[in-house]
Amino acid sequence: MILSTPFLLNNGVLMKKAFLYFLLLTLSLDLLAQQKTFTLSGYLRDSLSGETLTGANVYVRDRPQIGTSSNHYGFYSLSLPAGEYAVVFSYLGFEDRIETVRLSQDQKLDILFNPGIQLEELVVEENKSLEQVQSTAMGRVDLPTDQIKRMPALFGEVDVLKALQLLPGVLSADEGGAGFYVRGGGADQNLLLLDEAPVYNSGHLLGFFSVFNSDAIKHTSLIKGGMPAYYGGRLSSVVDIQMKEGNARDYVVEGGLGLIASRLTVQGPLVEDKSSFIVSARRTYLLDLAQPFIRKTDFAGTNYYFYDLNAKVNHRFSDKDRIYLSGYFGRDILDYRSGERDFALRMPYGNNTATLRWNHVVSNKLFMNTTAVYNGYRFRLDGEQDLFSFRLNNGVRDFQLKLDTDYYPAPGHFIRFGANVIHHRFTPNILSGASGETTFTNDYKPKYGLESAVFFQDEIRISERLTTNLGLRWSRFTQIGPFRDGDKVYDDFEAVKSFDGLEPRLFLTWMLNPRTSLKFGYSQNQQYIHLVSNSASTLPTDVWVPSSLYVKPQRGNQWSAGWYKTLKDGTWNLSAETFYKSLRNQIDYHETYTSNQSTEIEEAFVFGKGQAYGLELFVQKSRGKLTGWLGYTFTRSWRWFRDIEQGRKFPASFDKPHDLEMVASYQVSRKWSLSANFVYGTGRPFTPLRSVYFIDQDLVTRYGPRNSARYQDYHRADFSANYTPKPDSKKAFSGSWTFSVYNLYNRKNPFFINYDLDSDLSAGRAKATAYQVTLFPLIPSVTWNFKWKS
Amino acid sequence: MESPNLQDQKTKNREARLFSVGILILLFMVSFFPACEVEFITRNIDLEPEIVVEGFIEAGPEALPAYVILTRSKPFFSELSPAELDALFVRNAVVTVNDGQQTTTLDELCFNELPPDLRRLAAARLGLNPDSILVNFCVYIDLNAAIKPEAGKSYHLNIVAGDQRIEASTTVPAYVPLDSLWWREAPGKPVDTLLQLMARIQDPPGQKNFYRYFCKVNEGPFETPFSSVNDDILIDGKTFDFRLIRPRQEGEEFDQSTFGLFRTGDSITLKWTSIDEAHFNFWNTFEFNKGNQGPFSSYTTIDTNIKGGLGVWGAYSTGLYRLRVAR
Repeated sequence: MILSTPFLLNNGVLMKKAFLYFLLLTLSLDLLAQQKTFTLSGYLRDSLSGETLTGANVYVRDRPQIGTSSNHYGFYSLSLPAGEYAVVFSYLGFEDRIETVRLSQDQKLDILFNPGIQLEELVVEENKSLEQVQSTAMGRVDLPTDQIKRMPALFGEVDVLKALQLLPGVLSADEGGAGFYVRGGGADQNLLLLDEAPVYNSGHLLGFFSVFNSDAIKHTSLIKGGMPAYYGGRLSSVVDIQMKEGNARDYVVEGGLGLIASRLTVQGPLVEDKSSFIVSARRTYLLDLAQPFIRKTDFAGTNYYFYDLNAKVNHRFSDKDRIYLSGYFGRDILDYRSGERDFALRMPYGNNTATLRWNHVVSNKLFMNTTAVYNGYRFRLDGEQDLFSFRLNNGVRDFQLKLDTDYYPAPGHFIRFGANVIHHRFTPNILSGASGETTFTNDYKPKYGLESAVFFQDEIRISERLTTNLGLRWSRFTQIGPFRDGDKVYDDFEAVKSFDGLEPRLFLTWMLNPRTSLKFGYSQNQQYIHLVSNSASTLPTDVWVPSSLYVKPQRGNQWSAGWYKTLKDGTWNLSAETFYKSLRNQIDYHETYTSNQSTEIEEAFVFGKGQAYGLELFVQKSRGKLTGWLGYTFTRSWRWFRDIEQGRKFPASFDKPHDLEMVASYQVSRKWSLSANFVYGTGRPFTPLRSVYFIDQDLVTRYGPRNSARYQDYHRADFSANYTPKPDSKKAFSGSWTFSVYNLYNRKNPFFINYDLDSDLSAGRAKATAYQVTLFPLIPSVTWNFKWKS
Repeated sequence: MESPNLQDQKTKNREARLFSVGILILLFMVSFFPACEVEFITRNIDLEPEIVVEGFIEAGPEALPAYVILTRSKPFFSELSPAELDALFVRNAVVTVNDGQQTTTLDELCFNELPPDLRRLAAARLGLNPDSILVNFCVYIDLNAAIKPEAGKSYHLNIVAGDQRIEASTTVPAYVPLDSLWWREAPGKPVDTLLQLMARIQDPPGQKNFYRYFCKVNEGPFETPFSSVNDDILIDGKTFDFRLIRPRQEGEEFDQSTFGLFRTGDSITLKWTSIDEAHFNFWNTFEFNKGNQGPFSSYTTIDTNIKGGLGVWGAYSTGLYRLRVAR
C-alpha cells in the first residue's frame, strides 16, 4: 500500500535517476583517469583511547594540495599514481605522523596518533591550520571538546552550545539562554544533531543549560555559511555533535562535583580494541538538597531537577564493518505543590534519541553508512486541585532511515551521495481534563508527515588553486493521514498535501597563495517543520508544527563570500566573511493572539518574509601558551508580515547589529591554566509602550511598533582558573579544581522590563514605573573534577 | 491553582500561570543571589493620543442604563495628578445609540456637577465608591432609559468628539442561565469560615456561547475576578460543573490560602451574563494583557470592536443570583 501511494513512487523514480547519473559520472571518471592510481586507505585513531578522529588531514608532504581528510568515522581514502610518497597525517592536538608509502598496489594503513605536547612548540607544523584555508567548507568551525572545556561557564558547567555562541555569526538572544540564532535565522532554523539524531529542544531549565553533556562529546562542528548537500531540513545552520565511542583500551571513570550539578562518565572496552562503551550522566540537585527544609513547609513536594543520560556501545566486526548504538535521554521535571489548598502541578519535558549505525567499507574507495534513528521530544503539564484536573501535552516523534556514501573515485574528487526518509508525528497541544464527573478535551489529533531527500555532491579539485563543491539536494515533504479536514477523512499514509524543492549548493575556493584563499558560496534550503514562539524567549510549551494544507515550507537562499589567511607557521588564522540571506514563508502569530488551547494553532499564524546580511571578522591564535580568538560580527536581521503592522519591516527579536567576542586561554604552568572571555553586543530590541489607558479603572498597556526600541548594550566578562595539583602523577586517580566567576564585574545587564502600573481612576491614583530586571549578577562557582583510569 | 472555572479559563490561566511558574523557577534559583531592579526610563513615542470607549448595554433584572465612558490614552508617565486625570475624560462629545428603529442621544453627566444623593446613586450603579471619587468622573448615560435592550437585537454606537468619528456595533445575545449553585468545602485543608462556590451550567449545543460573571459581596460594588470570561469550545453542549472565584476587593492583598474563597455569613450577589464574540475577545485579550509580564511574556494587543478608537462597546444579557455563604 505504501508503494502505491504517489509520493514514494516519485521518490523511487528520482532515486533511480540519481543512481543513473552517478553511474555515468563514475564511468566517465574512470575513463578520464590518465594514469592508473592506487588507493591508500584506513582509519585514523587516538592511540590512548582508540577513538576515531574526524577531519584529520592526510596529504603528500611535498604537494600539500594533494590530500584528503578523515570522515565522521575516521576513515580516509587517498588515490595516487604509483610511486613513493612521504604522506603526512595530522590532527590538531596530536603529533604529526609522516609515513613513507611505496604505492604499487592498493594499501591499507591505519594510524594511531599520539597526543602532542601542549605547552611548548617543538616542531613547527605549517600545514595543520591550512585546512581552514584550503577546504571548500564556508563558515564552518570545528570545536574539539577539550578546547570547550577550558572556557569559563555559567555555574561552572561547560557547555557546547554556549561555546558556539562565542563565535562570530552565532548570536544568543537571552541572558543564559541556550537558544541560538545563526546569521539572522530563527531558533528553529538550526539542525542540531547528536550522533545523527535531530534534537528538538536544546535547553534545560527554560534554556539556561543546554542538553549536551560535554563529557560524552568528542567533536562538534558548526556550519553557518551554507551547508553542503549532505545536510538539509533546516535553513540556517548545522551543529553536528558526535558522541565519544568509549575508550577501547582502558576503563576510565571521570566526573565532577559542582555546586549546582554533578556529572559522571564511565567508559571502557567490552572486548579490547574491538568494542567499547560509554555511559555519561549529569544531574542537578540544588532543590533536592533543600528537600528536608521544603518538606516542612506548605510547599512539601515542590522540586525542580534535570538530568541527562548519554550511552553508547560499538563493535568492530572487522576492518570493513562496524556498528554503533547510541542513545540520549534527558528530562526537566518541575513539581510544584501547595498543600494548604491541595494544588499540584507537574511539568516534565525532554528529548529521547536512539541511533543505530552500520559502517561498511565496500571497497577502499567506497565507504557506506546506514543509520536508523528514533528521536522524540515530549512536553507535559499536569495540574490538579480538588475535583478538577487537566493534562496538556505536545511533542514530536520521528523515525528515520538514512543511507550515506562517501566515494573517493579518483584524485581530486570526493563524492558523497545518499538518501533519507523520516516519518514524523506531531502532537499539538492536546488538552484533556475532568471536573468532577465531566471530562473535556480539545480533541486535537496528531499530524503525520513523511519527509525525504536525496542528495549528491562532489568536491572537485579543478586545478591547484581552484576547488569546488557542487551539490544538489532534492527534498520532499508530504502530510499524510490519518487526518481529518472538515468532512474529508484521510487514511493512514494517504497523502494530504505535498511540497518539494530542489536545493542547489555551490561552493568555490580559490587559493591566492598557499596560505590565503577566497571562498564563495550559494545555497538554497527548504524547511518543512517549524517552531513558532510567542515570546522573545523559547519556552517548553512552544510547539513544533509541520507544513500542511495551511502552512507552507520555509525557504532560504544564502550568498556568502570570504577571505581566509593563515599566518606564520599556522599559529594565527584570520578570516573575513560576508553573507546575504533571504527567507520566505516565515511564521509568526497574529497581533491579537492569546495562547488559548481551544483553537487550532494554525489559525493563529501569519506568514511573511525575512532578510539578513552581515560581516564576520575573526582572528584566532591556536598555538602557544596563550590561545584564543577575537571575533566581531555585524548583522542585521529583519522580518515583515503583511498582517503585522501592515507589513512594516521590523528587526527580528534576536537582531544584534554589533557583537564582539573575545576568548583567551593561558597555560601558566603545568598546574595552573586560566581562561577568560569578554562579550559586548548591541542591546536586544523590544516593543516599547506607545501609551497607557484606562479600562475598568485600571491602566493597561498599548504597545508601540514592534521591536522599535532597544535595551542597553549587553556586556560581560567571565573568568576561570583550572588547578591540577599533581599534573605528572602516574597514579590511576587524578583530580583537578575549576574555579569560575560568571559576570566578573557584576554588570547589570537587562533581562526584561517590568511595568508596574498602580491605578484607580476614580480614586485619583495613577502611578506607573518601569523597572529593568537583571538576572545574573556576579556568580562564583567551584567544581571538583576527577578521573580514574585502569 | 487558579480557579477551576470553565476549561478555557483554566487554559488561559494556565498559560498565565505557566509564565509565573517559569518566573517561580527563576526566583527559586535566583533567590540565592540578589536579584536586581533598576528603574528604566522610557522614551516617549510621539504619536497622537487615542480615544478609549468603555460602553455597555445590559438586558436583564436591575440592568444599568446604557452608558459610555470616554477617555484618552496617555504616553507612559510616572504619576498623574487628579487634575491630569480629570483632563483624560473626553467632554462635549455627541454620543448616540441606534437600535435599528430609534436613535437615542446619551446625556453627559459629570460627578462634580451632580447633587450629592444623585452622585451617590450614580456611583453605586457604576460600581464606584462615592466617598473615594477624587476625580471628576464623566459618563454619557441614557438617563431616561429610552433604550430597552432586547435579546437578538443589535445596537449601533456613534460618537462625534471634536473632529473624530467613532462607531461600533454589538448584539445582545440570548441568555444562558446557570443550572444550579452550591457551596463546597475549601480544597485541601477545610477552614470553618471559608467555602468555595460551585456552579453547574448546561451549555446549549451547536452555537457559540460566551460568558462573563461579576460578584458583589455584601454592600460592595460588583467586581470581576481576574479571569472572568469564558467561551464554550471545550464544553459545547455539555453539562459542566465549575468553581466561581470571589474577586479580590479593592486594596486586598493576594493570599493563596484564602484566594477565591467566600467567607461564611456574607451575602453574595452573582451577576451571570452572556456576551457576544467581539465582547468576549475584548475581555479575553484585556485579561491576557494584564497578566502578561516578565521575561517570557508576549506583547498582547487588546482586541477592540471600536472603529476609530480603543476599548469596547459591549452588550450583556444578565441574570442575578442572591446567595448567603453558609454550609
